[in-house]
Amino acid sequence: MAEITEKNGNILVDSVPALEQKLEQVRKAQEIFSTYTQEQVDFIFKSAAIAANKARISLAKMAVEETGMGVVEDKVIKNNYASEYIYNAYKNTKTCGIIEEDKIYGTMRVAEPIGVIAAVIPTTNPTSTAIFKALICLKTRNAIIISPHPRAKNSTIAAAKIILDAAVKAGAPENIISWIDVPSLEMTNTLMREADLILATGGPGMVRAAYSSGKPALGVGAGNTPAVIDSSADIKIAVNSIVHSKTFDNGMICASEQSVIVDKSIYKEVKKEFIYRGCYILTSEETEKVRKTILINGALNSKIVGQSAAKIAEMTGVTVDPKTRVLIGEVNSVDLEEEFAHEKLSPILAMYCAENFDDAIDKADHLIRDGGYGHTASLYVNEICQRERLKQFAHKMKACRIVVNTPSSHGGIGDLYNFNLTPSLTLGCGSWGGNSVSENVGVKHLLNFKTVAERRENMLWFRTPQKVYFKKGCLPVALQELKDVLKKKRAFVVTDQYLFQSGTVRCITDNLHKMDIDYQVYSDVEPDPTLACAKAGAEQMKSFKPDVVIALGGGSAMDAAKIMWVLYEHPDVDFMDMAMRFIDIRKRVYTFPEMGQKSYFIAVPTSSGTGSEVTPFAVITDEGTGTKYPLADYQLLPNMAIIDTDLMMTQPKGLTAASGIDAMTHALEAYASVMATDYTDGLALQALKNIFKYLPACYENGANEPVAREKMANASTMAGMAFANAFLGVCHSMAHKLGAFHHLPHGVANALLITKIMRYNISPAPQKMGTFSQYPYPNALERYCECARFIGVNGSNNEEVFENFISKIEELKASVGIKNTIRDYGIDEQKFLDTLDDMVEQAFDDQCTGANPRYPLMSEMKEIYLHTYYGE
Amino acid sequence: MEILSEKLEKKSYRDGDVRIKIFGSSYKKSDILNEALNQARVEETGLAIPHLLEVKMIEGQWAIVTEFIEGETLDKLMEKSPEKISVYMEQFVKLQNEVLSKRAPLLNRLKDKMNRKINESGLNATIRYDLHTRLNSMREHSKVCHGDFNPSNIIVTPEDKMYIVDWSHATQGNASADAARTYLLFKLKKQDDLAELYLNEFCKSNDIAKQYVREWMPIVAASQLVKGNESEKEFLLRWVDVVDYD
Repeated sequence: MAEITEKNGNILVDSVPALEQKLEQVRKAQEIFSTYTQEQVDFIFKSAAIAANKARISLAKMAVEETGMGVVEDKVIKNNYASEYIYNAYKNTKTCGIIEEDKIYGTMRVAEPIGVIAAVIPTTNPTSTAIFKALICLKTRNAIIISPHPRAKNSTIAAAKIILDAAVKAGAPENIISWIDVPSLEMTNTLMREADLILATGGPGMVRAAYSSGKPALGVGAGNTPAVIDSSADIKIAVNSIVHSKTFDNGMICASEQSVIVDKSIYKEVKKEFIYRGCYILTSEETEKVRKTILINGALNSKIVGQSAAKIAEMTGVTVDPKTRVLIGEVNSVDLEEEFAHEKLSPILAMYCAENFDDAIDKADHLIRDGGYGHTASLYVNEICQRERLKQFAHKMKACRIVVNTPSSHGGIGDLYNFNLTPSLTLGCGSWGGNSVSENVGVKHLLNFKTVAERRENMLWFRTPQKVYFKKGCLPVALQELKDVLKKKRAFVVTDQYLFQSGTVRCITDNLHKMDIDYQVYSDVEPDPTLACAKAGAEQMKSFKPDVVIALGGGSAMDAAKIMWVLYEHPDVDFMDMAMRFIDIRKRVYTFPEMGQKSYFIAVPTSSGTGSEVTPFAVITDEGTGTKYPLADYQLLPNMAIIDTDLMMTQPKGLTAASGIDAMTHALEAYASVMATDYTDGLALQALKNIFKYLPACYENGANEPVAREKMANASTMAGMAFANAFLGVCHSMAHKLGAFHHLPHGVANALLITKIMRYNISPAPQKMGTFSQYPYPNALERYCECARFIGVNGSNNEEVFENFISKIEELKASVGIKNTIRDYGIDEQKFLDTLDDMVEQAFDDQCTGANPRYPLMSEMKEIYLHTYYGE
Repeated sequence: MEILSEKLEKKSYRDGDVRIKIFGSSYKKSDILNEALNQARVEETGLAIPHLLEVKMIEGQWAIVTEFIEGETLDKLMEKSPEKISVYMEQFVKLQNEVLSKRAPLLNRLKDKMNRKINESGLNATIRYDLHTRLNSMREHSKVCHGDFNPSNIIVTPEDKMYIVDWSHATQGNASADAARTYLLFKLKKQDDLAELYLNEFCKSNDIAKQYVREWMPIVAASQLVKGNESEKEFLLRWVDVVDYD
């Protein structure tokens, strides 16, 4: 074990054990630092930036002296940039604690430090990178341990120490910035394994080591920036920008241009300008000499890195003016076998002649893919006249920074020649470069952001047809609007054979005739309307071109008319898409087409039950496959509903019973739904009251009970409005499938299931409850009891009230002739059992399931089906 | 007994059907046993190599006894018939690929060996750091690598069957490293044309870019430095003094 020198808590980090000891100190310091306020941090950040800035010249000199690479004056700029620009970019950035708060949505974003950051610093930019990384760590309350490169360790450590001293003086904990004194790969690897995050700048080897350490790493990769000079470019700006950038710190910036690709038409001129600006174009022999010097077995000769053009020329045995700024080799191949095609980290440029812009782009693409995947690309172009070329270039380059008419060394690091690219000395290269970031690394990458989200409730709604007209005998009055207000000319009436042949439809057509409105009647709607029927109707509409559709009948006629309306307005719709199951009607994947562009829609019910005249629902069956498409969207709401009891007086007994009980389940399920609101509750309660009071009389005496009929008509529509907005529940899910598989009338199926479902729903501890932010805890028992009490059913406690309510419902069902079990309706036992699993799965997936207060398990649904089949 | 070769501290004899290799006292017992063990392990892969017969003491010196293979070394044949060089090179690479296709999970790991060699290379801390970093980033492979694969270690029998000898440097690791080593051996013998011919053939037959092999060159050069051959030093130093891009 290497000896550890310890003095006043300062440890000379020259071995893995010493590093581990240091890490412990640094961790403790960071724990303290993590409690600092934004004000404390900002003061430390500013003090450290000032100290680094003041040391810009001494650090620059030191770096050049130690590494023997680069240019002091340019390194001064880099040090100055790393302190000033980084400070300026983040001086007002909130990085501590709550940084954002949205009281309305109830969210807070809280910034937390990551912990100990391992920073690998390269030889090419040792002091400026150290300043940059230390400053962004201070700003984010992280500790940093720097692993310098052996070639640049003294200057790297000096920079770190200046920042540490200033930070501590400004109140930062001791040891918040630390470093490895005697670097070795073993220690670097240990540091990367132990740290919480790695900021790795270096060669691909180091970046790969960072990513394989098992810790999150912000590594950045090699660049091989090509600069394309388009024929439209300003040659003077292009050449001088490139020379300026390429000579900066002797070409050691990773975003620096490595090759120039010049359009054939301006090649000579560009070459001339390069020469005029102090560059030397190598002869083919000299090019060969330089080739053999810059690369050894495909790797960059370390002796040329960061050296001046003249010095490199001398090394290669080429004589040039000592003031030569850049050596340029005219080469053809962009392949890796061409030495000039590599990154050179020195003032050496490859120059290519491109046939045209496409060729230039291909060459640039090749160079980037081989040597600088994800880094930077540069284009000189007339950005106004050749916008398309700019876009083409941006589209094609696999580079995370694409700088235009800009020296790329300066352009890539941001805020010097452009003002929206984050100032940074660590440039992400995205997945192309094997990096986790594709942008310039900044403080946001050194923070963990916590989002605090308080519970909020959804915006709710109540939607209903714009016009709901009701009262016995109101139909002619309501229809009069077609002429007087709506100025309609052509009406398309959809109804069924019974209503057509019995002449009921004349209550509408006679009125249309009187108002001089042309009309056509489609009267072939059958129960469970099919797509074929809807298509036939729509076809008729297509030639008749109505401006109003009037649906007359029960649920089937209204649903069929709605679908015809959809097909008439939007012939290309896909029912599979429209029927796609959703959790929230407002967030569904499918956007329902806008209705009403061609035609107005009026629904006139002739039975009291479905409520379809006021709901956004319609069910259609594909007669080919037997698939039922339940469509739901507020676009399907009729524009006008006319509830005229005169049309309902002669409903047959069975229909009165089934549709009346259907309306009751609508009201009950809407009331217990997780989406129930004050608005739907009132409607549901009043509907229930009407049903319990008037349904038996309607059933018994039919046409002789006009008041009861009217109350039932209102109940049906009100219940429709309730469930149009609060939706239904599992009773309807299961009834839908019972109807589909065994042809039980819809109302009967609901009647058989409703009390079983209510018992199922009242559990105070269901396996799963419904998901909706307004639904706080299981409350179905209380909700059902509210319904019970409203209609006058009482008891000494909720349980008793509920039992009495169930009895009352059973009584009502019996009074209108509903039998006890599914079996009583003659459904074959074997067939029932054979279809049971399919029914369960489909019922589970029914659109109505989501609003149920108890989220069902399929096993539970199966049990309910069985109970309902056999009776308890 | 016919003397086959005689180097300082290492002599080989032929005794009928067997070859006896006698090690001088400067050889570590562990190295001699390791060589025998390598040979045995590679033998188990089914490659055509002389079988290991005995490891024993002869007059107080360690000796490894193997089958004797009658024939001429490939380098001699190459020298004799330069017109057939491309055919020979093709066969040479094919044979190396066959070795590389084998697995011997208990052989030493090439990367461990190279890390050790870099430490022993006598290079300065900066270069060692860069070389370690470079090596560290190489993928973990487990192909049988001969470690000294060159034409003088191939014996061609009169029936044109090829046997590979001298498994003392065998490891398991990256094919590209073994190829870089072979390339270096040609270069050290100043056989530049053969080196390029070899690299072309190796990369073509394996459908890989030369850069994969080249990435290993600074590392194999550093490991060669350990041998301390002064005449090679300048050449090898040039190979190791390169940088990974920043």
